[in-house]
Parts: sequence; C-alpha cells; structure tokens
Amino acid sequence: MHSLYVLPTLIINVTIIAIPALLTVTLAFFQWDGISAPEFVGLENFEDLWYDRVFWTALTNNLIWTLIFLTVPVAMGLLAATMMLVARRGSTFFQVVYFLPVIIATAITARIWQGMIYSPVTGINGLLDRYGLEMANPLTQTATALYGIAVVDLWHWWGFLCVIFFAALRQVPAEQVEAARVEGATFWQVLRYVLLPGIRPTITLMLIMTVIWSFLVFDFVFILTQGGPAYSSEVLSTLAYRSAFYDLAVGKAAAVSVVISLFGLCATVFYIRAQAREFEE
Amino acid sequence: MTRLNLRNTTIAATVLMSLAGQATAQEVVWWYEQATPDQQELITTLIEDPFAAANPDVDLVIDYRGNELDKQLRVAMLSGSGPDLVYTPGPSYVAPMAQAGQLMPLDDYAAEYGWNDSILPVFLEMGRYDGTLYALPKTYETLGLYYNASLFEENGWEVPGSVEEMETLAGEMLAAGIVPFAAGNSDWRGANEWFVSLALNSVAGPDKVYQALTGEIPWTDPAFVEAIQALEGWWDAGYFGDDYFSINSDDQPAAMLANGDAGMMPSGTWAFQNVAIFFAESEAEPGFTGFPSAEGDPVFPLGVGSTFSIAQTSDNPDSAAKVIDFIFSPDFYGPMNSAWQGEWNIPLADLSGVTMAEDVLPIFTNAMATLASSVDQGNYGYTTWTFLPPATNSLLINGIEEVWLDRTTAEQFLEEIDAEFREEMADGKVPAIPAR
Repeated sequence: MHSLYVLPTLIINVTIIAIPALLTVTLAFFQWDGISAPEFVGLENFEDLWYDRVFWTALTNNLIWTLIFLTVPVAMGLLAATMMLVARRGSTFFQVVYFLPVIIATAITARIWQGMIYSPVTGINGLLDRYGLEMANPLTQTATALYGIAVVDLWHWWGFLCVIFFAALRQVPAEQVEAARVEGATFWQVLRYVLLPGIRPTITLMLIMTVIWSFLVFDFVFILTQGGPAYSSEVLSTLAYRSAFYDLAVGKAAAVSVVISLFGLCATVFYIRAQAREFEE
Repeated sequence: MTRLNLRNTTIAATVLMSLAGQATAQEVVWWYEQATPDQQELITTLIEDPFAAANPDVDLVIDYRGNELDKQLRVAMLSGSGPDLVYTPGPSYVAPMAQAGQLMPLDDYAAEYGWNDSILPVFLEMGRYDGTLYALPKTYETLGLYYNASLFEENGWEVPGSVEEMETLAGEMLAAGIVPFAAGNSDWRGANEWFVSLALNSVAGPDKVYQALTGEIPWTDPAFVEAIQALEGWWDAGYFGDDYFSINSDDQPAAMLANGDAGMMPSGTWAFQNVAIFFAESEAEPGFTGFPSAEGDPVFPLGVGSTFSIAQTSDNPDSAAKVIDFIFSPDFYGPMNSAWQGEWNIPLADLSGVTMAEDVLPIFTNAMATLASSVDQGNYGYTTWTFLPPATNSLLINGIEEVWLDRTTAEQFLEEIDAEFREEMADGKVPAIPAR
C-alpha cells in the first residue's frame, strides 16, 4: 500500500523523463526530418558523426569547457568562500554581490556582455578603442570565441559555487579550526588540512555536476556566437540544435544528444560510486 | 420596467448576442512570427479589423509565436494541432510538409478566387509539389546594393555598373577610410548567405545557379569556384570591415551607411524600413541599385520570405482561404507596404491598382516595380534561403565563414555543399525550381 505513495512521482518521471529519453535514443537510429515518417538507418547517424569534423570540434570544445569550469570557478569560489569565512565582517554583503549574476537570466547576461562590453560599436571595448586602447572582440576571433563565452559564463556562475562552498565551510566544526590555529597552523595549512577535507563531499558533488552541466552548455554559446565564427565555438548542444531545427536532421541531433548523455552518465556513475564509498567509510 | 432593469436587460442581451455571434463565427487561427508592438498594431488595423468588417462570419485569431515559430509549427503540425493558416518560413518547408500530407491542396481555391491570374506565375510554381498547389508566398524579396548617394556625390563616385567597377570603387573607399560594405551577422548568422547568394548570381550567373539547383551541373563547377573566390577576395580586401562578426544584420549596417561610415550596403529589400529611418536622421540621400554582375547588367536574386498554406486538419479551410484572399489584394498591398516596407511585398501580377502613401521612399517603389517587371520577364536570380534544401543551406551559412577565415578553401567548401545537396536532392528535399 505504501508503495502507492511513489506513484505520482513515478508517473511524472516516466512521462517527462523516461519516455522522451527513450524516444531520443530510439530516434538516434532513424533518419527523420521532423515532418515525414522516420526511416530506420541503424548506426548510420553515429557513423556520420565519426567522420564529421564539426562534431569533433564540438566535442573538443566541450572538453575544454569542462576543464575550464572544473578549475577556474571552483578555485575562485573556494578562495572567496574561505576569505569570507576568515573575515566574517561583510560576508553577507559579499555573498549577495557574488550571487547576483546567478539570478540574472542567462539571455540578459549574454546580451549585456555582447552589446555593452564586447561590442566595438556599443560596448566598453569600443570606448577603450576610441581612447587608443586597442581591444578586439573575443567573440569574433576563431582562437578566442570559446574563451570569450566562457568568461561570460564564469562571471555568471562562480558566485553560485562560492555561496555553496561558504555554506559548506560554515558546517566545518569550529573546534577543529580553533585547534589547528592553537597548534600554530597557517591559513593555507588550515585550508589544506581542515577546511577542504571538511567539505570534500560538497566539492565532489560540485565537480561532478560541473562535468554534467559543461556538456549541457547551450544558452551562452547560442546567444553570443551561435557556434561561430566558422564553428570555432560550436559545442555538442548547439550542434544538436542546429541539426534538429536548421538541417532538419533529427536523427543526427538525437545521436549527438546520446553522446552528451553518455558523458553525463559517466559522471553520474562516478558520483554514485563515490557516495557509496563514503557511506561504507 | 425601471431604468436600472432596462439597462441590465440591455447589457445581458448584448452579451448574449455577442456570445451567440462568437459561437456561429468560424475561427481561423494564424500563428505569426515575431512582431514588434508597432508591427502588431499594423496587423490589427490593416488585417484583423478590415477583415472582420468584411467577414463577420469569420473570427480571425492571430497568435504571435516569436522567433521560434518554425520549430513550434513543425511539432504542432506533426501532432495535428497546428493553426488553420500555416505560415512557413519559406518554400523549403513546404515540400516536406506537403509530402507528409499536412497541407491542403489549394488548386480549387486558386480557381475560385482567381489566384492563377492575380498572382505572378513563378510564385504559383514555387508553391507546387508534385504538380499540386500547396502554398502561396506572403512576400518576395531581392538582394541589391544600397548606397549613400550624398557620400557618392561628395566624392564624385558613380554607381558601379559591373563587378569590376564595384571593386575599383571599394578600393577607393578603403583608401578614404570608409568601409565599402556595411554588413554584420552578430544577431543572425544567416546573413552570411545574402553575400553568398549575391556572389553566386552576380559572378557565376543565374543560369549556372539554375543548372546546379536542378542537378544538371555540380556545385563544384568552375563558375561557382570563381564566385566563392571572388567573395573571399572581397572579404580579404576588407570590404566587410573589421566588425562584421560584432555588428548586427539589422539596424547597425543601415546606421553605418546613413552616417557615411560605410559607402554601400549589400542587403535585401526588407532593409528599406531601416534605411528610411536612419537616412531621415542623418539627412543624407539613400540610393538603391541592383547588385552588379560580371557582365554588367544588375542581377535580382529572387527570394521568398514566408508562405501561406492551409492545414489538412483545419476545421475551417474555406474561411482560412478567405484570409489568404484578403491579403492577396491591391487594397491591402498599398496601405501595408506604405507603412511596413519590405515585409509584405505580395506577388501580385498587376500593381497598377495599388496606391502607396506619399512619404514612402521613391527608391522603394522603384525597386519593387523593377523587381516585379524583372520577375515577370523571367530575368531573376536565386537566393539560397529560398531554393536550397535545409541542410545544404545551413552548411553554406556556416561554411562560408570557414572560407573567409582561411579554415578551408573555396573548392573544399563547394565539394561539401555539392555532396550535401546531392543527398538532399535524392531525398526529394529540394524546393520547386521554376523553369527559366
């Protein structure tokens, strides 16, 4: 009888997650323009991806993106959270300031950076340029487009990690920190031997979620560059979107989505195993 | 009966009558794309209100669905829950929808309303699939060369009559610190194909493009290689300026041209609205000419912005046909094109009955008249967004950036285009190509 309590959640999960997910996996084996009847093609979509240089560019960009977001915002967030923990004064104010970009809609953040900062016509870059400081728009160069987008997402994202880490750090028993200080530990030693081990589960969770979110990145890329110039900032999700809605190749888009999900699945398996290990300990 | 009772009774009767009216009126739903509040106001005053007055038995409901209309439409049509009046982004969408049985044949309506005579034949041909009429284009457009006539006069420049003259002029502009082509794509990467369409039609020529579209010659033909290399040369020479990827494709190029920061603007007839606004502000004189060809005569690549069809699942197809017929009339053409230029260039065969407002730019009226007569005489080129199948077109938009940025060559680019085109042609995805 008690099992009936899970029924509503189960129905919601099956309807909005399991069925669309299964349909996507199924469509990856079909050729379909989204209008006429799908045609079964076996592994052809995956084979096409293997020989598609844009797919490899997108995958590489996703890996670069993941590396950036596993390091830069995590380091920034940890450092700022620790500083707030040490100097408690004004920590609430800084939490609000750091968190503010997180609550701004991504589309607005992207448009602000595109028009008011990067643009040589209407942005700060243009203003500096007129004062003789030559500033190129990073979104327009193939070598820098991806990093230009990453900067915008970092600005938007790192405050979230900072607030999460700060909340976790506050749960570390104060006696441990006090004891370390009495023993003469430096700031870095307290951080290395007391604080970081104390919030390890939080860091692990954030790192794993970062891997999953990095493979799902779409909004900033699509608004700022649409994957260009010359595919230089293409990521898997923009490739899937373009395939489905511009090329009318829904099967190929589904195959790309399956690849994205595989990376997310790996990260999830890793997380579940890490959690299981912690329980055992 | 007291005065209060009388008033209440009157109100109740009015409400009941209006409800009864609504119940008997046949509802026609039309999903429209993105429109600004001013544009929505024009649609209300020039379509909804006069249509309702002329057709009290039809309740026309226009639903603004934003920029993603095409995606919403495809999903809705698939599930049979789409609008009655199907407004697609172009002929390339019509073929697969007709193939899937989602659209209603319009031949009977064409006969009933006389569309076969009132609409330019080439556009009727473009709306056919397997010989059956499924769509009518809402607007047709062309690409041309806008220029700052005041700037030209100031510098003693002549309007270029050939590609060679245009290149010489662009060189002079560069030497004078003026960007030759006002252009950008930061908001819409699709803008790239305007320039590819111009290069293909003006350098390779419409006949070659027609042959390639019908599969007679490959896209790797030397004529196309020359065209893409010419476009690459314009890019390398700096015709598009340093900020092409930073500025948008909409108002910023028009502002650059009006301010004299740029001398010319290769763009479509949809840009007339912005040209009118910014040239009025700068008090300069705008000019418009056909894009010069290698031979000398200007080329007008023909494009269709959107199309009208009726859904196979529509409950009120006759009423939906009435809406289409209302739009395809000279009485609608004049006021709408006077207020909203470039978006409602309905392909009427006879524009003699059309009256335009006095404040409309003469270059707009002239351009539209020239285009109509060129199309009527079969003297037109082909825009890629109208005549290429979707995946080939998408490849062309992104691939040309690779050519510009030296990540691939013109030959390799065209090889990829050709391979994709052959595949889509085999799948029956190439839109109807009117015979030359």
